[in-house]
Amino acid sequence: MLRSVFRSSRVLIGLTIVGILVVCAIFAPLIAPHDPNEQNLVSILLPPAWSEGGDPSFLLGTDSLGRDVLSRLIFGARVAMTVAVLASLGAMIVGAVLAYIAGYFGGRIDALIGRAVDVWMSFPPVILSLILMVGLGVGLRNVIFAIVAVDWTRFCRVIRSEVLVVRRKDYIAAAQLMGFSHPRVIVKEIVPATLPLLITLLSMEMGIAVIVEAILSFVGMSVSANTPAWGQMVADARQTIYEAPWNLFLPIFAIFLAVLGFNILGDGLRRTLDVRLIARGRT
Amino acid sequence: MSILAVDNLEVSARIGTARIPVVSGLGFTLQRGSVLGVVGESGAGKSMIGRAIAQILPQGFSVTGGLSFLGQDLIGMPAEQRRMLLGRDIAFVPQEPLSGLNPVLTIGAQIDEHLARLGIGAKRARRDYALDMLNAVRLPRPADILGKYAHQLSGGMCQRVLIAMAFASRPKLLIADEPTTALDVTTQSRIVELIRDLQRSEGTSVIFITHDLRLAADISDQVLVLYAGRLAEYGPAKEIFADAAHPYTRCLQLSNPSVHASRIGLYSLPDRMPGISALGSIAGCLFGPRCPNVIDACREKTPRAVSVGEGHDVACIRSDLTARIDPPLRQAIDKKPYGASLLTVESVSKTFSMTSGIFRRTNFQAVRNINFTLQQNEFVGIVGESGSGKSTVARLLCGLETATEGKLVLAGRDVTGGDKVSRQHQRAHIQMVFQDPQSALNPRRSVASIITQAMEAAGQATWRDRLAKAEALLHEVGLPSDAALRFPSELSGGQKQRVNIARALCRAPEILVADEIVSGLDVSVQAQLLNLLLRLRSERSFSMVLISHDLAVVRYLCDRVFVMHKGEFVEAGPTADVFDHPQHPYTESLLAAVPRDFVADAARRDRRNGISPADEIV
Repeated sequence: MLRSVFRSSRVLIGLTIVGILVVCAIFAPLIAPHDPNEQNLVSILLPPAWSEGGDPSFLLGTDSLGRDVLSRLIFGARVAMTVAVLASLGAMIVGAVLAYIAGYFGGRIDALIGRAVDVWMSFPPVILSLILMVGLGVGLRNVIFAIVAVDWTRFCRVIRSEVLVVRRKDYIAAAQLMGFSHPRVIVKEIVPATLPLLITLLSMEMGIAVIVEAILSFVGMSVSANTPAWGQMVADARQTIYEAPWNLFLPIFAIFLAVLGFNILGDGLRRTLDVRLIARGRT
Repeated sequence: MSILAVDNLEVSARIGTARIPVVSGLGFTLQRGSVLGVVGESGAGKSMIGRAIAQILPQGFSVTGGLSFLGQDLIGMPAEQRRMLLGRDIAFVPQEPLSGLNPVLTIGAQIDEHLARLGIGAKRARRDYALDMLNAVRLPRPADILGKYAHQLSGGMCQRVLIAMAFASRPKLLIADEPTTALDVTTQSRIVELIRDLQRSEGTSVIFITHDLRLAADISDQVLVLYAGRLAEYGPAKEIFADAAHPYTRCLQLSNPSVHASRIGLYSLPDRMPGISALGSIAGCLFGPRCPNVIDACREKTPRAVSVGEGHDVACIRSDLTARIDPPLRQAIDKKPYGASLLTVESVSKTFSMTSGIFRRTNFQAVRNINFTLQQNEFVGIVGESGSGKSTVARLLCGLETATEGKLVLAGRDVTGGDKVSRQHQRAHIQMVFQDPQSALNPRRSVASIITQAMEAAGQATWRDRLAKAEALLHEVGLPSDAALRFPSELSGGQKQRVNIARALCRAPEILVADEIVSGLDVSVQAQLLNLLLRLRSERSFSMVLISHDLAVVRYLCDRVFVMHKGEFVEAGPTADVFDHPQHPYTESLLAAVPRDFVADAARRDRRNGISPADEIV
């Protein structure tokens, strides 16, 4: 199975994009040509180096405070990737654990968790995360927490329905008859069956987390102002949209690229890991 | 005049660059108003005939040869013309009645659409015509049925609707592909009777495709037996059944248990039919590798069909020896003396409570006041139709459900409560063999890991211990030890069911609960499994509760039987007594639904004449 995963072109393209972003995030201080917060007031709003009036030392130009856009993009990847990985892992763990409990035991526990998800989902997600951020205050940890608190429901609902399908298989009853305890049945029989779905959802959720973080930092509700973030760059560039449109487009493109990377990866994983799709492809 | 003439028909599949003939050299003619039964196990290519006629073959398949309907060449005919024939002059009855109907249209709308397409009647008259049609298939209150959806009707009713639609255009040829396989036993016989009656009154020719030789012999005038896409035998139905000339037909018959005779052993053919990819690697006769009469000459070339009687052809060079293939002696694998009483079920009931709407709760009593005891080494059967509560009994015995009333005593201990200790007690003594091996085997575990799951649960076992145990168990159930590291998807249906049995045996239980373990398997594989269970009992001694809708299987294995109807045991007793002299009308109706049995009839005749081969055996 693993071999077919890496043979899929979608997975490879997705992994390449995500890989580049992750490398940027981890090695930002080594890659970035400038300090992202270093202001250079004599050369503000420089266009990219290849266009007329550009400066080769600021490859993608500068913003209204003369900060190097490329360096800010590279440092911005740090926030985006940290949030993408940690927030979606957190949402997955919370949502999946509840889903396994609800789907496996059924009955009242299921009804309780199911209603909680319903109520939770009835709040508009962006508003809910904004309220959470207002209450908690800015900072990376709080952004992650806000996204986990909003998005666990997505995992919970999708995985629960998959658990219900697997739960009805006779091999679950067989495992019980062999003397497996309930937690053991869940871990050894049900989790492996839902793993492909879990991986797929996780990579999709990473794309969503990038967008939510961008929205929050756009309204100044994410990390503090001296940490570069893509949403913040979009917000800053609004003032000078006519003089320096590239300042707006470049961070948007970065967000787009990150989401695209995660989505292609997720789609590729779904196609290669989903047992039903594989079976159909083979016959 | 012949309705359908098939001459040297070949259906081939493209695999890679090679073309492999899936059906080859098939020829027969179907006379007006006669019924042809096409018999074979899964993979025999029997559905290919219907598909070749309709030209609905899977991708990569192609048809060559002669296929003419009323003198018109079906293969060369333009698609448009064929479409006019199909549904009007050639009608189909599918295997799965529910998937044959559109779930979002009412029955009335679908019949109307069908009639409009055929151009039958003006718009006003169509409703009356539809009512007549439904009356003809003996559906009660046809006016109500027109307004219903497929899911509101039972499988048998859906099949009647489809049969009505098939006969609506007064077709000249009806192709019924396993029309009763998905239905209950009693429904099956009524559907077969219905097709037969309509066929007679309309003078329709029918191709009746089935895996059940006995059913085919019962309904058909001619029978065509297929093996791996090749004609094995073709001839008059009664003659083929009474005097099979091809060893495969004979073995099929001998491996099919009978409701009326319990004492003959079942013949179990080794191995299974070659798959498409294996066809090329067998030299000469394709049945050769499994044939009891095989000699070197069989491997030299593919046998041609030769006539052995009036309109009776057989593709075997040693057909004169076929009648000498005998069923095995049963005593060799037969029963052991009973031991102490193991299990007592005292007036056990199970009520499910279901929520309907938000606040309303309805109670459904699935099992009502059942009583029985089970002794060591005893095999008892529980028979009944689907929905009779048989499977709930199985789950109650294993402790997957808790009884709402009554008492369950297992090996001297009351396990009714369903607390942890009694569950452990139950698990040590009772194991279950599940119905559907597809769902019962975790596709992500290797066979060895599945079989020795009980050791994993107990902890401490190393993988090496488990592998050794798995190989021992595989050997017991007749699978090669290299199967241990394979995954369920690499096994055939029969092999999976063996793994299923091996897993249940791992904890050496004293009682096996087997829920429909052979349904959906081919006859020859079924015979292998039934004999396996008998052999295992003689080797390691255990009792079994066999739950089945198949009376013949129960008769073959079980000494006592309980007939279950709507959650209750309506009749109980020694299997031979209950099946030979049923007391309860429900038991009678179950027995009446079983196709007539020519072999048993013949055996009974023999007994009257003083020759009783069956009695000599035991």
